[in-house]
Amino acid sequence: MARPFSIHRVQRRLGKGLFWLYCSLSYIFLLAPIVVVIGTSFNGPTETVDASFDFPPKNLSFHWYTQIPRTQFEALGLSFALAAISAVGACLLGVPAALGLVRSNLPGKALIAAIFRAPLQIPSIVTGIAFLQLYYLVGDLTGLYWQGTLAGLALGHIFVATPYVVGTVTAILQRFDRRLEEAAVIHGATPWRAFRRVTLPVIMPGVYAGALYAFMVSFADVPISIFLTVPGFVTYPVEIFFALENDFDPSLMASASVVILVCLALLLVMQRVVGLEVLLRTGGGGGR
Amino acid sequence: MFSFILVAASQLVFLERSFFKDLGLGRTGKDFILDNYVRFFTDGFYLNTLWVTVKTSALAALFTLLLGFPVAYLIARMRSRWAMVLLASIVVSTFITIVIKVYGLIVIFSASGVLNKTLLSLGLVSGPYSIFGKETGVVIGLMHFTLGFGVLLLYSVIQTIPRSFEEAAQIHGASRWRVYYRVIFPLALPGVTAMVLMVFNMCMGAFTSAALLGGGRVFTLPVLIQRTVFMDIKYSMAATLAAVLLFSVILINILSIYLLRRMRAAHLVTV
Repeated sequence: MARPFSIHRVQRRLGKGLFWLYCSLSYIFLLAPIVVVIGTSFNGPTETVDASFDFPPKNLSFHWYTQIPRTQFEALGLSFALAAISAVGACLLGVPAALGLVRSNLPGKALIAAIFRAPLQIPSIVTGIAFLQLYYLVGDLTGLYWQGTLAGLALGHIFVATPYVVGTVTAILQRFDRRLEEAAVIHGATPWRAFRRVTLPVIMPGVYAGALYAFMVSFADVPISIFLTVPGFVTYPVEIFFALENDFDPSLMASASVVILVCLALLLVMQRVVGLEVLLRTGGGGGR
Repeated sequence: MFSFILVAASQLVFLERSFFKDLGLGRTGKDFILDNYVRFFTDGFYLNTLWVTVKTSALAALFTLLLGFPVAYLIARMRSRWAMVLLASIVVSTFITIVIKVYGLIVIFSASGVLNKTLLSLGLVSGPYSIFGKETGVVIGLMHFTLGFGVLLLYSVIQTIPRSFEEAAQIHGASRWRVYYRVIFPLALPGVTAMVLMVFNMCMGAFTSAALLGGGRVFTLPVLIQRTVFMDIKYSMAATLAAVLLFSVILINILSIYLLRRMRAAHLVTV
């Protein structure tokens, strides 16, 4: 027997359909540029530059992947090295900071916490120019100019990346039951051993998640790097930025696709190691 | 920790520079003057830049909320394994550097790109439609920068709202729409305001998408700062612009938090 016709059911179906359509449009908006970049990178050799941007791609080939210039590889290398240094540096600064913030009863704890969060609130272009001015000042005083050096670049990146680690580790520490540590000490463990064997394994997912955030933030940054790099020593995003300002080089799509795949791989590894939920819970709540 | 405070303090080094006069070629005078600030607040060009920055950021934050909220809700309430896939694709798109996304946008919106070919063949536009050098383009670029963050934040907010609240409302006869705007939205409002403010902050400082999609015609403060450093080589003017940007961000944030508190006190919003 056919179900009786109900205007309410039709309305509900329609509403649900519209909702799904709306969400799909958001997704298309969000993902279209990435799909297009990957897609066009497989275009075969073309007669005009315009044709190399065809989507869907024609004459599928890896042509543009063989055309990636040296400068882009060098920039990629620098970006990876820098991101790794920033992630490690941010952890070295951020983990003790988070422990101090959650555990100690320092006066002015709120102020210190605010200072640690500050780099997230300051517009990154302001951070960039502040570091540039700082390096000029230090250079004038000591004769050592830091702009255009790996150390100078890394310092700027660590500055913006540390709050993410502080956020993710704090989020985990706040839920951590201190009695576990106390139990370990009662059973004869030294405080250091208790920390290493009990606390550290618990906060490790937060450290991983924070390190990943730090890595990604550093790897994606333009506004700070643009002030702290010099020609011949640029990070990958800055390299593409200038390339886009000047002219279109289809080989960019190939290297960009490589970067997208590497980001994807990194996230898959993270998903395997700590799970996406940890990344979201800790990052969404505390990181930003 | 001490070193960190040192770094935080050093952030204000540039403020000092903003009080000196530019002598050209990056040299600055020694006298303490307010010239740069006077110039900023009397020159229509600079004031307009500030206005464009605030306007595009506010629009981007608003649209991020409009596009992001339903998606975040969808993922948070999905019970199948697909939720993880949808979430993962948001995370991926968030973490990919904005330069690459802008690159994709340029390909999509170029005169012979996918979109224009489709629009032209459908007869929807007479000539190729372009977003470059327009504020629309800048807003679209900013949204690509923030939408992923927005969705992830809203997702974590909506997840904390127990599903049973919605069910209770539905059992008592509330329509789907009513559940949304009487139950979910008010409960999510603190998170929503936090997200909107954060996205607004991000946009105010966003440089890349505004610089590339503005095409040298739309100037936001970050774009102007970079140009002042690299093209005009006027460090103290750039420092002034940076200071104005920083303090307008702080001011707008304080103001909106204050307004929200007032509204809460007057029971205009039930948070």
